[in-house]
Amino acid sequence: MMARTLKTLFMALSALMLALPIMVVSGAALNSGRTMFFPPREPTLARFKEFFITETVWVTALTNSMIVAFASAALAVLIAWPLAYALWSRGTKASQVLAGLGSMPFALPPIVFGVGLGFLWAFLGVLGSLWAGVVSHAALFLALPLVTISIGLQSIDRAHLDAAATMGATPAVTFRTVILPQTIPYTLSGFFFALVLSFNEFIVMFFVSASSYSTVTLQIFNSLRNGYTPTMAVAAITFIVVSLAVFGAIARFGDLPRLMGAEPAKK
Amino acid sequence: MTLASDHDTAPQVGDLAPKNSLPSGETLIRGLIWAVVLFLCLTPFLLVFAISFGHKVEGASWVWGFSLDNYKRVFVGAEWPDNVTFLYLQKLWYSLYYAVIAAILAVITAFPFTYFMTGLSRRAQAAWLVFILSSLSLSEVFIVMGWDVLLSNRSGLPMLFKVSGATQWLKDVGWFDTLRDWGLANPRNVKFKTSVFATVLTMAYLVWPYAVILLYPPLSRLDRSTVEAAQTMGAGPWTVMRTVILPSVRLPLVGSMLLLFVFLLGVYVAVTVFAEPAKQTMAVSVYEAVRGNTLNAPFGSAQAMILLVTAAVFLGLGQWLSRRNA
Amino acid sequence: MKGLVLDNIHKSFGSVRAVEKTRLDFAEGELTALLGPSGCGKTTLLRMIAGLEEPSGGALILGGRDITALPAHKRRFGMVFQSFALFPHLTVLENVVYSLMISGTNKAEALEKGEKLLDLVQLAGYGDRRITALSGGQRQRVAIARALAQEPDVFLLDEPMSALDAKLREDMQVELRLLQQRLGITTIVVTHDQREAMTMADKIVVMSQGRVEQVGAPHDIYHKPANAFVADFIGRANFFDAVVEKGNLRLGDTLIETDVPAQFINGSPVRVAIRPEGPALDTPDMKGTRIPAKITFLRDLGPVRDIHLDTAIGPMIVEYATGETDRAFAVGSATDVTLPPGALHIFPRENTAPSEAA
Repeated sequence: MMARTLKTLFMALSALMLALPIMVVSGAALNSGRTMFFPPREPTLARFKEFFITETVWVTALTNSMIVAFASAALAVLIAWPLAYALWSRGTKASQVLAGLGSMPFALPPIVFGVGLGFLWAFLGVLGSLWAGVVSHAALFLALPLVTISIGLQSIDRAHLDAAATMGATPAVTFRTVILPQTIPYTLSGFFFALVLSFNEFIVMFFVSASSYSTVTLQIFNSLRNGYTPTMAVAAITFIVVSLAVFGAIARFGDLPRLMGAEPAKK
Repeated sequence: MTLASDHDTAPQVGDLAPKNSLPSGETLIRGLIWAVVLFLCLTPFLLVFAISFGHKVEGASWVWGFSLDNYKRVFVGAEWPDNVTFLYLQKLWYSLYYAVIAAILAVITAFPFTYFMTGLSRRAQAAWLVFILSSLSLSEVFIVMGWDVLLSNRSGLPMLFKVSGATQWLKDVGWFDTLRDWGLANPRNVKFKTSVFATVLTMAYLVWPYAVILLYPPLSRLDRSTVEAAQTMGAGPWTVMRTVILPSVRLPLVGSMLLLFVFLLGVYVAVTVFAEPAKQTMAVSVYEAVRGNTLNAPFGSAQAMILLVTAAVFLGLGQWLSRRNA
Repeated sequence: MKGLVLDNIHKSFGSVRAVEKTRLDFAEGELTALLGPSGCGKTTLLRMIAGLEEPSGGALILGGRDITALPAHKRRFGMVFQSFALFPHLTVLENVVYSLMISGTNKAEALEKGEKLLDLVQLAGYGDRRITALSGGQRQRVAIARALAQEPDVFLLDEPMSALDAKLREDMQVELRLLQQRLGITTIVVTHDQREAMTMADKIVVMSQGRVEQVGAPHDIYHKPANAFVADFIGRANFFDAVVEKGNLRLGDTLIETDVPAQFINGSPVRVAIRPEGPALDTPDMKGTRIPAKITFLRDLGPVRDIHLDTAIGPMIVEYATGETDRAFAVGSATDVTLPPGALHIFPRENTAPSEAA
């Protein structure tokens, strides 16, 4: 009984600690003035209007963030699929090396990868173009769909492939009618993981944007020195809401514990 | 037996690959994928490596070259052998120092949390995971912003200390001077910015959700009946933890610490905001050199390489540990 | 529909010989059971027939045509898998008509046929259900209907009953056999369960360690086992080692009278098997060798009773059907056991220890 209470208390405290800075920032978004206070003074929702509609700087930044997040996540999924498929179907040394290379940017300090990408795009003369940012994030977050799609492929019962073959399905047909439909939830999860992380990423985007455009995180960072404004807090709220919605959806439609490495659910 | 033999006879999916398809088409696709991955994931690192041997020219530009001057400058200073400074080694030292403490702190506090969480129902686990993942993905800039508000001298905790009378109480019992010695107070009130405390706290906070996610697989796969078995043999909660749970997750614990450590080596925003100017890290120095005030790309690259090698060494160490104990 | 012939088919995985050279005939319309313990190579053999495993050598001949090089999707032998391998992303009906849809059959036609097949396996009206909403027995019926949809030349089943509980298993064995007879389809079933094989098969192929040990009708396999392995694996048997002595068997001090086949010369070591229902207790007028015994254990199983004995030639189990004898046996009491000559199965014995069947 005592142990149970302690457990619950510890988990609640951890959650509170985790939520504290977010709550403070969220609360500050309600300030009516130009300065951030907590608790807020004269609560108002005017800052939300600024962030989403009236202030061009923020609207442009948000648009850029969304373009980069969606496009890079889609690109990452496209590149990750053949890597995961080769790893699963062949499992050769070469496919392992390839998957390892694909995961490298995510595993190593992002600041180094950011610096390197900055050089790369500068050489090609495309530094600061939005699509270079898209490709950069796709490379950085390639590891995420790679992992989720691999988990999805591993969860396919190999007897299903045999069954399809005995019913006249060629490998191509098996891929289309058995493998693809069964891995869609995992592909989508990978897409959304990449999307959310790209949305929030800062340092790599800083190096590859070369100040020629800005995303929300870049804009926040640029404003750090000038002090906080409640509009920035609105951005923070927006981001946390997006994350909660996306991960909530993954949990609702997919098997989140399994994706995170728990044993498959017992039926 | 049936299982084993059925596994032996299970075909590789490769066997099902079309045997009569055009090899040229397949080779083409495979070549394309290799090219894309090599280009995107490897060339950036190679460029950093190559440029680290170049040198800066007037203005903000640089040229190719092959000299070890940049590395020399990192290790013993530019004026060596006449003059030795360890300025950049000191930055590396702070990188390691913050990262080690924050990683250990995060894993130690995330471990009991994750252990309790994996004992919940699957639905509850999924709900917690949504919360943890949302926190994990939240941008460094927002987290720093939140802690900055909480720790800054005009608002947040110092304010709370003052208003609640805790500051006065600390002064009365004499602990205030101790805090001042630690750099956590100014003459009037407690202060957390800038301090090692605030830096490490924010960094630990930054990776705490990662620690939970890394510890989640081994802990959720832990066979709970072993715990029950130990209990039936008379082991109390602490004995169970010490003799059953910790030994079986020792490796993931160490592995998680290493991964978080590597992640923390590259943290930039938290350090610039919370660390004192004299105690900044190599990541900040890289930033300064490549995009900041000094604009010396080759020197920044050399520092980035050192950061990279440090990270790679610790990642390799983790791999080696897990393979040796597998 | 045509008969299938395996001509010296064999398979090795690296240095492991999974299936030794095998020659088998599967007659048209017959149900053959491949029976053997785990790891005996029966599943590998079935997978080679399906085209899911490439033989290391030999040929498969279907109705006079060599199909060895034909991949699984061109052979289109319907197969029921141990786990049923139903596609979870498709409904029951979509699973059943899968082979028709991918071969480009007209949709209305395919669906109509699918409904008929569901009717055949007594699942009419279940077409729209999700696979996860079905019980084990229903899943098996779907798997059977699905494999039959393409009207295969050969119908293959890999341990089809292993996912079902014991009671359902017996019912399904009878049902499957009736269905197979009605359709008259050449069928091969892999199983490790001799009751299952005996219930369903026209012909049983007993396998062990990649080798075919015996091929025959269920009755023959049981009553005329070809070797010690088959005698042990099919049903139960008491074993003892003996030496041939002038047409009889010598075991220590005991001489057992019987008619040893002429192939065993005097002095050759043999392994002797006797089924538990063979010997009789306390029957002075019965023909055969009588050996003194002591009752060590009694096991009442309802329809039969097992009497465990300690005899001069070793421990032995004797089985009586309930009501066959009204004698009351008591543990520890002395008796004698008669071994009728006709009940003794005599097999050659290598000098090495006799193979212990799993």
